[in-house]
This record gives sequence, C-alpha cells and structure tokens, in this order.
Amino acid sequence: MEGITKFFAASGVLANDAVDLVVEEGEIHAVIGENGAGKSTLMKLLYGLEHADAGEITFRGEKVAIKDPFVANRLGIGMVHQHFKLVSDFTVAENVVLGSEPRARGPFIDRRSAVRDVSKVIEEHGFSVDAKRKVQDLTVGQMQQVEIVKMLYRNAELLILDEPTSVLTEQEIESLFNTLKNLLGRGKTIILITHKLEEVMQMSDRVTVMRDGKVVAVRDTKDVDKRELSRLMVGRDILLEVDRKPPTYGDPVLELKDVTIRCRGQGRPLLDRISFQVRSGELVGIAGVGGNGLAEIEDVIGGLRRATSGRIFLHGEDVTALGPEPLREVGLAYVPADRLRRGASLPTTVRENCIVTKHHDFLRTGILQKRGIRAFTERLIEHFSIDAVEGMPAGNLSGGNIQKMILARELAAETDFILFSEPTWGLDIASSQFVYEKMLELRQRGAGVLLISSNLDEILGLADTVLIMYRGRIVGRLENTESLSKEIIGEYMLGLRDDSQSPSAVASAEGSRG
Amino acid sequence: MDRKRIAGLLSSTTGLALTVGIAFVIVIILIFVLSKEPGRAIYYFFVGPFTKSYYFGNMLNQSIGLIFTGLGIAVAFRSSTFNLGGEGQAYAGAMAATVICLSLPSLTGIVGGTAAILGAIATGAFLAGLSGFFRMRWGTDQLISSFLISAAVILIVNYLVTGPLDDPTNSMLTTARIGQQYQFLRIFKPSKLDISIVFAVAAAIATYFFMQRSHWGYEMRMCGINREFSRYAGINVAKYLMVPMAISGGFHGLAGAVAVMGTHYRCLKGVTAGLGWNGIAVALIAKNNPVAVIPAALFFAYLDAGARAAMLHADVTFELAKIAQAVIFFLVTAQALYGFFTTRKRVAA
Repeated sequence: MEGITKFFAASGVLANDAVDLVVEEGEIHAVIGENGAGKSTLMKLLYGLEHADAGEITFRGEKVAIKDPFVANRLGIGMVHQHFKLVSDFTVAENVVLGSEPRARGPFIDRRSAVRDVSKVIEEHGFSVDAKRKVQDLTVGQMQQVEIVKMLYRNAELLILDEPTSVLTEQEIESLFNTLKNLLGRGKTIILITHKLEEVMQMSDRVTVMRDGKVVAVRDTKDVDKRELSRLMVGRDILLEVDRKPPTYGDPVLELKDVTIRCRGQGRPLLDRISFQVRSGELVGIAGVGGNGLAEIEDVIGGLRRATSGRIFLHGEDVTALGPEPLREVGLAYVPADRLRRGASLPTTVRENCIVTKHHDFLRTGILQKRGIRAFTERLIEHFSIDAVEGMPAGNLSGGNIQKMILARELAAETDFILFSEPTWGLDIASSQFVYEKMLELRQRGAGVLLISSNLDEILGLADTVLIMYRGRIVGRLENTESLSKEIIGEYMLGLRDDSQSPSAVASAEGSRG
Repeated sequence: MDRKRIAGLLSSTTGLALTVGIAFVIVIILIFVLSKEPGRAIYYFFVGPFTKSYYFGNMLNQSIGLIFTGLGIAVAFRSSTFNLGGEGQAYAGAMAATVICLSLPSLTGIVGGTAAILGAIATGAFLAGLSGFFRMRWGTDQLISSFLISAAVILIVNYLVTGPLDDPTNSMLTTARIGQQYQFLRIFKPSKLDISIVFAVAAAIATYFFMQRSHWGYEMRMCGINREFSRYAGINVAKYLMVPMAISGGFHGLAGAVAVMGTHYRCLKGVTAGLGWNGIAVALIAKNNPVAVIPAALFFAYLDAGARAAMLHADVTFELAKIAQAVIFFLVTAQALYGFFTTRKRVAA
C-alpha cells in the first residue's frame, strides 16, 4: 500500500495521511498504534470496506482496486474483525459457507457437502470446533476460530486480524498464537493489528508503528524492544509506574456482608458469601478471570442486580434493596465495564451523556436549562481534556475519549465512594494513564475506591488491598506489598491457591448446610 | 453504487423527495392505464385539493386528527414503547367525549367541553397505559397487548353506538348529536375546518419542547435510546414503560374527541376508523419528530383529498384512488421505516 490517504469529512479527521505499508509474503506483520492512530481505517481500506482518497494498493505485484470485500476475498484477502460477524442461530458450517454456499439442485444449499468441506478445513488446520454446532453454543475463542475458518474456506492467502486477543482468555490467546504459527507454516501471510506490545514481541516478524494517521516506524521485531515500541507509539517516554503514596485509611465507606447471588436451577452460586470493606482513602482491587463473579459484583454494588442474601452498606446506610437511583443519592459513582452500552448513550450528544446522572440539578420548573448544561459540559470537557464538542454525538468520540467523558461525569458527583470496573479495557496507554492518575487522586482525596479488573498490572500498580475471585468466591485477600507478584495472584485466579477453604470457612459452610 | 451509499441516500431528505417523486410517477402511469381521461384525472388527483376552498379546508381539517395521533405515536416510538392500539384508543376517546357532552346538556361550552376533552384524553391514556403497566409488571409484549386491548375496545364501542346509545330518531348508526355549545368553531366555511387545527399545531410544538427540554422528555428519550444506560444512571426505567404509552393514548383519545366535537358532532360507528393506523404512518414519515408530524399529516390529508377530488370530477374509481394512495404510502413509509430500523439496529449493536 502506497501513499494511502483517507479523510473523513464528517468528523474532520485525517485518518490516514500518505501511509505506506509493505507486507511481505509469508510473514506476520504487526501494525501497532494507540486508539485512533488509523490502524483500523488502513485495514478497512485494504479489505474494501472504505475507499481511499489517494494512494494505491499493489497485491502480488499487480495494482488492484479493492472496491468491496467480495473483491478482497477473490484476491485472497481475508479479515477477522474485532467484533465477530456471525449468525448465532446458524451452525458453524452454515456460517462459514454463507455467501459462497455449495449448491445442490436449483436454489437449495448442499448442506452435506458444506459440512464436509468445512470439517476438512477445520481438521487440516487443527481447529477444535465442530462444524455442526450452533455458533451460539460456542465460546468466544471458538467463534474466532470460525471467523478464521471462514477466511481459509475462501482460500485467503493474506489474513488481517483486528485486535484478535482483546476478547480472549489467556489460554485462548495461546491457542490462537499456535494457530497463527501453523498458518504461517502453510505459507499464509498475516497482518496483526494490536496495541499490546507483548503480542508484537512474541508473534511478529516485522512491525509498523502508526501514530496520528502516519507511519512513524517500520522495524524488524528482533531489532526493537517494548520500551522503544511504546515510545514510538505515544511519541514520548511514559512511565508505566504510577506514583502511589502510602495510604491513610479512614472509616469504611462500602461494606458487603455475605452477599450471595443464586440463580434458580444453577448449583453453584454466582456470588458466594462475599464480604469485604472499602475504607476511605483505600483503593481495593478485585482481580479475577472473567466469568468468576467480577461482573456480578459490579452489578450488585451498582444496584442493577439484587442480592439473594447478605447485606450491603454504603456510607453506613443499608442499601441492599436499593436500585441505582436512590443509590446515587446515598453517594455512589460508578464507571461500568461495558462503557459503550451501559456507560454511555452513543447516539445522543456529549451534553446529554454528561448530565444523565444529575439532570435534576439543571431543572427549573420542569424545564432543563440549556445554558447551565452547556457550561457544565464544557467545563467537564476542559477539565478532563476530552477531545469533543458538547453538541456532537458521543458515538463520534474515540474509545479513550468516551471513557474520559464517563469518568468526568462520575467524578463530577464528588462522592466518597467510586466503583471502577475494567476502566482501561481496550484503552491505549495514554488514556489508561489518565484513568490511573484520576483514581489515585480520588484515593488521595480520601474517597474509597473499588477497582474491579482482570488486568493484573493495574491491580498491582494501584491497589492497597487485593481481593481475588474464583468461581464466585473471594479466595485471596492480600495486602499489596513488595512481595506480592503477578504469579501469586495468577495462582489464586486459576484456583491453585485458595485461602477461603480454611477450617473455619469450611465449618461455617457445613453449618449452613445442616 | 454500494449499499452504504444507497442507504445513506435513502434515509436523507433528498431520498424522501426522490421516493415521493417515484411514487407520483407510478400513480401517473396507473392513471394513464386505467382512466379514459387521464389528463383530467391526474389534474384532479394532484391539484384538486387546491381548486376549491371547500376541498382545501376539508383537507386541512382531515390533518388535525392525524397530527394528534401522529404525535402520540412519535412520543411512544421515541421512548421505545410501542402503541399499536391507536384505533381503539381514538374510538374510545370519541365515545367518551360524546357521552360526556350528552350527559351535560346544560353546561357552558368551555366547562363541559373541557370535561369532554379531558375525559377523552383520560380514556385513551388509560387504555394505552394499561399495556404499559402490563409490560412494566409482567414484561408483556406491548405490540400485542395494545393491539388486542384496542381490538376489544372497538367492539365494545360499536356495541354502544349501535345499541344503548343509538339515536332512534336517526337512520344512521350513530349516537345523538352533541349540544351546540360543544361544537368547535368553524373557521373556514363552507369547509369543515375548525379551530382545533390551532391546538394541533400548538400541541406539536409543545410536544417538541416537552421531548427536548423537559425533565420527563429527556428521561423518556434516554430510555428510548438505551435502557441499560438509563437504568445504570438512575433513571426510573420501569416508569417510562408506562408514561410514554399513557401520553400516546392521551393523544389518541384527544384525536377522537376532536373528530366528534370538531367535525361530526356525534359518535358515528367507526367515526375514527383509520386514524390510529395512519397516525403510525405519519409518525414514521416524520421520523418521530413532533414538529415534522405537521407536514407529514398534511401530506397524508392531501393524498386523501386528491383521491376524493379525482373520484368526483373524473372517472377515477374508488379502487383506483385507493390503489394510487396506497402506492404512494407504501413507498414513503417503506423508506421511512428503512431509516427507523437501521437506526434501531445501530443502537442495538
């Protein structure tokens, strides 16, 4: 790709500015950059989803015009999107052949040969999915396999993977990487888009670094290290270490006592007698692998889900039965994990997003005061250096700026307790850093902060007290001292260590059963 | 042209103009095929409503009810609640207004009239609010419950019109005539256009401000766009499964009252037939924007008036007029629906 330029007139963004990208046959080429650096746009141009304003694409020595994904497929270019494009009611085989189905007679699809062909591809490449299973029954990792199989079925020679690991568990990432190596062995070429440096170092042969729509560097991976890559990505040296002052604890602001959530018809409770405190001036981190109760803790504290039993106290008040509205009145601010659906309303303006939790303050005789709202929003935009205009739809903001907007709104409530759930998921380094600084500021101010995160670096870097969840229970409670390491937390997270099975805990469990 | 560009074009305003143009061309072709005097038929179909003040006034008059029901639907859809029971709510509103007027023969127009209108609004709001309540309480599907309640109500009102409240001195299937003092002022004689058109326009503007600027309007819109977000932020989402429905039903009831007190002066059998369904079409064309409901309702009324004029002055049959109308409407609503569903999908994704 040479001299590629793409300008989005609607948002005034020059997404790609005379970008050159050379990918050689049979290599894994990583394209890295922060959110909004233009990686995804470049790949969309290559896959025919967007059209370049200038520049040309040469594929295997021939100049090509890729006007839509069908052309890309015909050329042998396949793309696995970050968000899967699968029909959940269809089987794996049906999904794979969709669009290029083997025909039986007339308009009918030859299902049997579809299953056979797809199974063959799956087998050849050592995947583990069953062609006859429905997609809705698959794990996320398996769905991704289906997406890759889809491309291989169409004889793709060049595979583009857009942030493939962002939704996968550690084991799934491992298996994906094995798959990629396997594909490489068969002469395929792979473009890996990511902003995780670990993966670049581990997987790629060469790496192109993008920043602000431009290519800033192309390197052989063996010649660079993570520090240099991160400097190239953000354009300056950043401290991955945060400055955390020793804590001073006050009274508890949040307390959970034996909180349990049980689903009818399920043996194991989603949350099993969860008890902990967050004191003022304390940052408590809850770590765990997804599916072990982190999301439920978020919901139950946010008032979106009722505990089956147990009690929750916020600022000393029993809030067990309260929904989000009264909870916010008692003093809850909360940055949710699902920021695109729960944390923000993308089609509405930034202004309307910013006031949603406190629009009552702008009422005069039932009418929302426009001037006050505008001033308030502009103040938030300025204080949090959000790259946005108050009247634009929130959906036009980049991921990092959406999170800043949510943060600005929640922090504006000035509560003494704040819940952060996966606050930096999918954010680039600079935005993450911003979030970390804000969290520490709050703690310094004397607020109680609860951080729910599956990112161990984050937990270790920020938390005073670390709680680890495994299968709905807190299996570890640790002070964050020098001796605490990722390895130790990891062992708890995977269930290899479990402090909750001490004799007293077992005894009380037996007691409650009897 | 790729699909994205076509989609963009279709949902834009130029797209709307283009669709209307295509629809008109189809109608003209139809008339050429089926009419012996196509020139005359086409003239009356498109220009007819403007040839006489009588036609013009009636056209405006017809738009009044559509504005009210269109507003009702727009408010409900904006809040992601679904009211398919407009027919029954409007009809019940007409009946309620008639009953109140008939039972208060000696009050002044202002007092009794206000009572009748409020009664009609309350009736419609209750019927639609019921669907909202069911959804709030048991998660019942609003599309189905509102439609079924409405279907039952239509039968009940039919029974009242033709049974206990039938006017024996009149051969039509209708109630007795309401008192002189309850009949709205006609402002464009000899047509049936009455003063309520002023209220309709004012209602559209007021609704716009209500949705955009008021506390309830804001919360309703937020719930409509993203219920998860609203719940998280502390908006009482359950309440807004019911409130927009009640408002929507209120508008339909009001449309029924206006049909009786402004145009017919009695509750005829099926007096509001079509108002409910057509209100949905109007709201879709207006893309649920309360102010845009006014031109959308006028457009609808214009088509109807054109068809009538063409039937009266040319050899256009009732069927042809209806087909022509249907073609235009089919294309226009399909286009509006297309935009409606693509935005909804984007929200869901």
